[in-house]
Amino acid sequence: MPAFKISTKEGKDGVELELIEEEGVTAWAATTPMSVVGKPHPRLEGREKVSGRARYASDVRLPGQLYARVLRSPYPHARIASIDTSKAEAAPGVHAVISVLNVPDMPWFKDGKLFDRTLRYIGDEVAAVAAESEEQAEDALHLIEVTYEPLPYVMTAEAALADGAPKVHPEGNIGGEVVEYERGDLDAGFRQAEVMVERTFTTQAALHNSLEAHGCTASWEGDHLTIWSSTQAVWVVRDQVAEKLELPQHHVRVIKQHMGGGFGAKQIPWKPDVIASLLSRNAGRPVQLILDRRAENLASGNRNPTRQTVRIGAKRDGTLTAIEAIITQEIGAYRTGGEASNVSGTYKSLYRCPNVHTKQTPVYINTGPAVAFRAPGYVEAAFALEQVMDELAHRLELDPVTLRERNYADHDQESGKPYSLPEGLQLAYDQVAPALAEMRQERNRGSETRRRGVGFAAHDWMGGHGDPPGYAQIELNADGTVNVITGTQDIGSGTRTGLAQVAAEELGLPMAAISLQLGDTAVGPYSPVSSGSATQATIGPAIRAAAADLKRQILDVAAALLETRAERLSIEDGQVLVDGKRPGEVSLAEVADKIKPHMLRAEGARGPNPEDLIIRTFGAQCAAIEVDTETGEITVQRVVTAHDCGRIVNPTLVDSQIIGGIVQGVGFALTEERITDDARGYVLNPNLENYHVPTVKDIPAIEHRHIGVPDSKANSTGVKGIGEPPLIPTGPAIANALHDALGVRIHEAPLTRERVLAALDGRNTTGEEPR
Amino acid sequence: MKPFAYASPHSLDDAVALLANDQDAKFLAGGTDLLTLLKGDLLAPSQLIDIKRLAELDDQITLAGDMVRIGALTSLSDLETHPLVAEHAPALAEAAAVAATPQLRNMATIGGNLLQRPRCWYFRDPEIPCWLKGGDSCPARTGENQHHAVFDLSPCVAVHPSDPASALLAHDATVEMRGAQGSRTVPLAELFAPPTDGRRIETTLQPGEIITALTLPAVAGRSTYLKAMDRKTWAFALVGVAARVKQDSGRISEARVVLSGVANVPWRATAAEQVLVGQKPSSEVLRAAADAALSGAEPLTKNGYKLPIAQALVRRALEATLG
Repeated sequence: MPAFKISTKEGKDGVELELIEEEGVTAWAATTPMSVVGKPHPRLEGREKVSGRARYASDVRLPGQLYARVLRSPYPHARIASIDTSKAEAAPGVHAVISVLNVPDMPWFKDGKLFDRTLRYIGDEVAAVAAESEEQAEDALHLIEVTYEPLPYVMTAEAALADGAPKVHPEGNIGGEVVEYERGDLDAGFRQAEVMVERTFTTQAALHNSLEAHGCTASWEGDHLTIWSSTQAVWVVRDQVAEKLELPQHHVRVIKQHMGGGFGAKQIPWKPDVIASLLSRNAGRPVQLILDRRAENLASGNRNPTRQTVRIGAKRDGTLTAIEAIITQEIGAYRTGGEASNVSGTYKSLYRCPNVHTKQTPVYINTGPAVAFRAPGYVEAAFALEQVMDELAHRLELDPVTLRERNYADHDQESGKPYSLPEGLQLAYDQVAPALAEMRQERNRGSETRRRGVGFAAHDWMGGHGDPPGYAQIELNADGTVNVITGTQDIGSGTRTGLAQVAAEELGLPMAAISLQLGDTAVGPYSPVSSGSATQATIGPAIRAAAADLKRQILDVAAALLETRAERLSIEDGQVLVDGKRPGEVSLAEVADKIKPHMLRAEGARGPNPEDLIIRTFGAQCAAIEVDTETGEITVQRVVTAHDCGRIVNPTLVDSQIIGGIVQGVGFALTEERITDDARGYVLNPNLENYHVPTVKDIPAIEHRHIGVPDSKANSTGVKGIGEPPLIPTGPAIANALHDALGVRIHEAPLTRERVLAALDGRNTTGEEPR
Repeated sequence: MKPFAYASPHSLDDAVALLANDQDAKFLAGGTDLLTLLKGDLLAPSQLIDIKRLAELDDQITLAGDMVRIGALTSLSDLETHPLVAEHAPALAEAAAVAATPQLRNMATIGGNLLQRPRCWYFRDPEIPCWLKGGDSCPARTGENQHHAVFDLSPCVAVHPSDPASALLAHDATVEMRGAQGSRTVPLAELFAPPTDGRRIETTLQPGEIITALTLPAVAGRSTYLKAMDRKTWAFALVGVAARVKQDSGRISEARVVLSGVANVPWRATAAEQVLVGQKPSSEVLRAAADAALSGAEPLTKNGYKLPIAQALVRRALEATLG
């Protein structure tokens, strides 16, 4: 049983309780020998996935199941003057239609409703239909008669902030809080500076484009509701659906077994969960609502476009004296509550600097709402900050790594607390710097029209520390196998395998003896949302705590069986050994069989993160590219990367995250951009034809140089997250390589042919001298 | 999508008759463009006439005398790999190979490839009014026109999306068509025409007509097709260039330069060809030809970058064919 302590303190609303779980284990040391953790065990669900048997939300087939489609606003801003759904209701195969006419006023996001008479972006939900086939549902949408009154709209922050701009919401176009931060004396810092760089950068709306779209299958039995949802947060969906539908929480069960990508866009509950549930209740049949690609790309989140004006000052030796970043972010038409794009974060922390000012202004525009996208904010900021640092290095004729080393931040400057692994970033520099030198050797192989360049970028990331609490249970079966049960979900990264390895290690069992269950609120104990690269660092220690408790129980029983003391016993490969020796061992199966039908069970919890430390993840990356100066084509040839993610539980899984992150980074850098016609209010590429994610031919050789130093102060497993970080430095590393190749710099992402050719033509360049 | 009837006739006459009796019917072969038009609510045909089983239509590539004949149902994959194409029209093999994806190339037929509708994102969105769809004006002219035409030939500024079309034009292909009034054979160039007020489509195929085959001279000589895309593969051409040259005693005796992605139609750059013919190949001549290829171009607000790309590709394509 997880032990915990309760503390009380007077808060502004009376007594506040704090409950702190205790894990009851000491952290694995860097020197602790490991037999399962650290090994490239294949994914437990790999066979299921490659054979097509893995069941995703859209694979659910229930008797009588209906299929739903959503009618969406064709206008960026409009009012529904009238709506008539009667023809759709009478259409063949249709069993339920919902809209603002028959759904009570249900608040959604921080500033919207499930169905509203005001529509604020192309794709905003107008009505939904459930029918016996998807085609019938789609056809019925055309029979819904809506009279729209188009309203004036704003498609950019610039337009939204102009005097007299149309208002996205009655309160105005500032979407939430303007966040401002200051430390030291910025003006004094700039006065001390001997070199200054000031540039303005823009980053684009990038779309997550998970292979598996958002959606769910909802089914009622009496007043109990089950939802198979494509979500990163089964518990949050459960609680939200229960709240919206006024159901007790134990009447709602949310299941997510496999995930075809989330990348942050599925970290909040979206409307389809409730829409499908309402349709299902009205129709008296299960309802499946899976978004098509257009809806996915219009109405399921995006990385917020930013404009960042960055000013840095430094001494001639490279010491930073001042950093300022003035940021606007276009958050779309609603505050989803999961936008979480902390663009100012890295400006405060990545480099040692006493004088810092950041200001971040979120702005509403009439497009789909933004939501977290793999390292939200940090990807956008790194594109700017790391180009400015590169320019500074160039100006000072310093090696880019040297400049960064001279501004090394070994503690968190915002809180003053030390980092749990202060050398993390330096370890990444040490891995990547030699690769950068190698790449420079090959740079001269280019030609006049095929110029080569190499670029470097560093990053930190506010996540990866784990988000306690989180819980796990373990049971020993009568045959010596164990069931590990958690309520987390696999975002697609191989969560099951990494977690099972922790259990196997602690219990001294082979992987084959472990089953791991997750992704079902009816089965597992609470776990937090899979975001912030948190899952392994949150749930791993909870499982380890449970496994340690189970092991104690096993050894107690084995001690009685072997007529010895438990302190002399250990478990290796499923055998309980006395003083570590064979023979004389007893198997776990024998232990379990001896006590059956009694069962050994244990629970574990993830204790709090240390209060006196800040846990961050760090990394560095270098890229080699070739640029065709006549056609503007960029070819990324090679990327070498290193990341401090603490102990590496499974190198294959970590490599997969590295590859996936860099692939998305190449897309962000070169090709991915939602295109809007701002004058007319159109979104032109909510598809995969003109929204260009990278293909296999666009991907460079990717080399991950493992660090793998356990962060033993972070948690009992020494693990930190790796899901988000690899994407952060890819864009600026490529942009810096472009500057190295051409002597011109591009401040707008993505680096399209148009921009490359314009920069070469002397337009939109920084004023830096061409090489 | 509106329901439609499906017919699978066995003879060309039956197919043509079916179409003659139903103006709202459409032929179905590979379906790679047709299905996107149906799903995009841009077409709502009354019936689809499947032409894959017609006795007279084929997917064969054959040599007949000094002509290579390509059946209208030939897939892009076959064009990419067939030895006769590689030998007699390398530009066509290369153009097929850089079109779409292997899956699409396996399905798509050459006849349909020539007749596919533009990929303009205004045209393809059923919610957006546009001139080509019968509206008053073309929003791309003053909108997001980075993928659009640099030659202003029509109220519409969408570009023809085909890669093989330019290669076929560079090889002086002719197209055989069959309609209710019988057969006709015309130079392929005549199949394409910028849309006009009275004909808001990019081809001159008459209602009820069907492409049956393409033929091109089996002449020796080198040709190539180069393509610039927004990513390395699986994208329509920003610019494509098909080039074919013949040399005689060290001088260029015949030249074809045809561009994709720059106009409503595959754009034959006759000005460039004129610069080349009679000249000894040199970097100056090639540069002059590349400049001439874009003479008369009037880029829109956001597609001026296509000009240097096109010039570079013309030069490189010529270098490759002369090299």
